[in-house]
Amino acid sequence: MDPERWVDDHGDMLYRYALSRVHDDAAAQDLVQETFLAALKGGQQFAGRSTERTWLTGILRHKLVDLVRKESRQQSVEDMEATLAVEDELFDTGGRWRSRPPEWETDPFEALKNKEFRAVLQHCVQALPDGGREAFVLRELEGFDTDFLCKELDVSATNLWVILHRARLMLRACLSANWFEQRKVSS
Amino acid sequence: MRSCRDVARLLSESLDHTLPWHVRLGLRMHLAMCGICRVSRRQTLALRKAFRCYGREDDPGEDTSVELPPEARERIRQRVREAAQRDRSASR
Repeated sequence: MDPERWVDDHGDMLYRYALSRVHDDAAAQDLVQETFLAALKGGQQFAGRSTERTWLTGILRHKLVDLVRKESRQQSVEDMEATLAVEDELFDTGGRWRSRPPEWETDPFEALKNKEFRAVLQHCVQALPDGGREAFVLRELEGFDTDFLCKELDVSATNLWVILHRARLMLRACLSANWFEQRKVSS
Repeated sequence: MRSCRDVARLLSESLDHTLPWHVRLGLRMHLAMCGICRVSRRQTLALRKAFRCYGREDDPGEDTSVELPPEARERIRQRVREAAQRDRSASR
């Protein structure tokens, strides 16, 4: 084990991973540093670089959950009301769609191969409101389940589902406006 | 009859836990009649597929031009070096 090589071997990759999950560059750098320091305490031996990479990524994911646990607070009534706006924008007072969402000509999964799309996606995730972003990242990007999230974020299941719904709507609106709607195939 | 607003919320919820069967039935009936909710559902599912892979092993892309800024890299390297040296002298 050679910790002094870790930063050169894995620093950039871990930074990219962190950037896609946290609020900004500084938070991502802190998360990477915390990951390496926690790894030092782990003291594991690894045969190859890819298993070292997997191990360090696993530590980063744990540090991400720790970070969320530290920063999260109970979703206040004001927070829930503030995000109501995204639903009001999409639906009229009768609960009907105000307009038909434009069809997307490219598939989001395929779009991950495009650097510009990745930058837009990162921006859209970072632009989510506090609370909504953490819930979205841990549920949608990291795959943790409802029970786990209710515990870590200290919210009821019902509130969590509403928070996730609105975060998904906001993210879709951001991606639609900044990417998918600008990629019309000209006829 | 549920509104599209309610249906959108329930479709999102269905991604996070299993809805009661009668609710699922109602959603299916609404989707059979509502083209806009069908588009919305399609986009929601397509995004989910991308999000599950984003940054992980089956991510089809990666932007390797994104790197730690040099001063951050050096700062982190220094902290790791210090911590490793502390550990070494503590174990002597």
